[in-house]
Amino acid sequence: MLGLSLFWEYRAILFQGMLINLLIFALSSTVGLTVGLVACVGRLSPFTLLRTASAGYIEIGRSIPEFVLLIWVNNVMPVALSAIVGERIRFNPILSATIALGAVASGYFAETFRAGIQAVPRGHVEAARALGMRTPQILRRIVLPQAIRVMLPELMSQNIGLLKTTTLVSVIAVPDIMYQVGIIGQQEMKPLPLYTGTAIAFFLVIFALTTLVDRPASQLQRS
Amino acid sequence: MSVMAAVHPSERAESDVVSNAEPSLAIRVVGLNKSFGDVPVLRGISFDLSRGQVLSIIGASGSGKSTLLRCLNYLERPTSGDVWIAGYPLTFATDRNGSRRNPTAARIARVRAEVGMVFQQFNLWPHMTVAQNVMEALIQVRKLPTKEARSRAEYYLAKVNMLDAAERYPSRLSGGQQQRVAIARALSMEPQIMLFDEATSSLDPELTAEVLAVMRLLAKDGMTMVVVTHEMAFAREVSDRVMFLHGGLIEEDGLPSVVFTNPRSERCKQFLSKFLG
Repeated sequence: MLGLSLFWEYRAILFQGMLINLLIFALSSTVGLTVGLVACVGRLSPFTLLRTASAGYIEIGRSIPEFVLLIWVNNVMPVALSAIVGERIRFNPILSATIALGAVASGYFAETFRAGIQAVPRGHVEAARALGMRTPQILRRIVLPQAIRVMLPELMSQNIGLLKTTTLVSVIAVPDIMYQVGIIGQQEMKPLPLYTGTAIAFFLVIFALTTLVDRPASQLQRS
Repeated sequence: MSVMAAVHPSERAESDVVSNAEPSLAIRVVGLNKSFGDVPVLRGISFDLSRGQVLSIIGASGSGKSTLLRCLNYLERPTSGDVWIAGYPLTFATDRNGSRRNPTAARIARVRAEVGMVFQQFNLWPHMTVAQNVMEALIQVRKLPTKEARSRAEYYLAKVNMLDAAERYPSRLSGGQQQRVAIARALSMEPQIMLFDEATSSLDPELTAEVLAVMRLLAKDGMTMVVVTHEMAFAREVSDRVMFLHGGLIEEDGLPSVVFTNPRSERCKQFLSKFLG
């Protein structure tokens, strides 16, 4: 009907492309969550310098479009680093994509973590303090278990957004699904089935992922 | 277990633990000041409280009574002044050279474990069952094995008549029940002193009565208690001593029979007249 058979014909290479999207998603999500957690802790720290630096990082991360940052990290950062080190440095495009998408994601994740932690009533922390519990114990036993329940839905939708954003990486020649579709589309002169197929493929992958995560997530929220 | 017994000998050497308080004293407060920004809330509060005594602190909103209570377990950091809890300096530690520094987190946590606190908003942890709420600090702070923590939790839940609810979550309980669990949680640490911060202010009269009954029982058992309250009848009947705070100062301090019937301070008279009619 839409001639999707063309999409099917190239399934092997398109599947490989999709795996690259998933790889970059996994890497940049891990970077984003880790750096985001650090930035969040800094943002809530009692030390002004750390607080300001973290807030600045978060704002920058959230303000630069992924598209711009992808190109900047891949094309400008190596030049700058080469000038400093005095040696020619080149980034693997997958590394550039991980840094750029991870940086933007970490800004959003940090704010989600902060909202979750701040949603835990102060009194719950004070009750733990009054019983002699130490800060790491309070974080681990009282704050995080409650905060995670608050954060979870937001973190999930941000991660879905991140997975969708990985379709931008073809701009720095990462051979993801969009990159492959672009090349095949030029060869075959039939963009319609390829882009429609890609849309359907993303829908299926994201639908499968959310279904997979939904059940344990809602169980955790109920408990 | 006394506070002294809990101190490791190597730690005792760095601080003059009991030098400024007599052993019979549960609490000594000397020249305590607390400001929030430029606003002074406590202005030079000093008092001693003997072991086994029940002190009620009364006063209008903003008089500093809750802040005073929260300085006693360092939930608020005093701006200046000293607090000793069961002989421990809580506000400032003194090193061998006699210079003062802030107490370490370990010191604060250790003293806090000897001071139970009950809050107006109960503050039970909603993701844990009643039993888990009580067991948490026994395991994390007292380092009891789970089994022992469980049996101690059950003992204290039975004491406040809440053993039946051990496996329920706090959200399934009434305010009065939640507050009784919160009292059990504090008691299970077997503290030397109990602080009550308007423990019945968010309860309706019927639920207030069940919480006050538990507090009466504690007082009868000889627990040292500091009670910030608006329950004048309770303060009058149960306390050994009543303190009236106004503008961060102690305006009146004495036996309940004296403070309630014949207060010297004009402000205290006015305040009491609103309650006693």
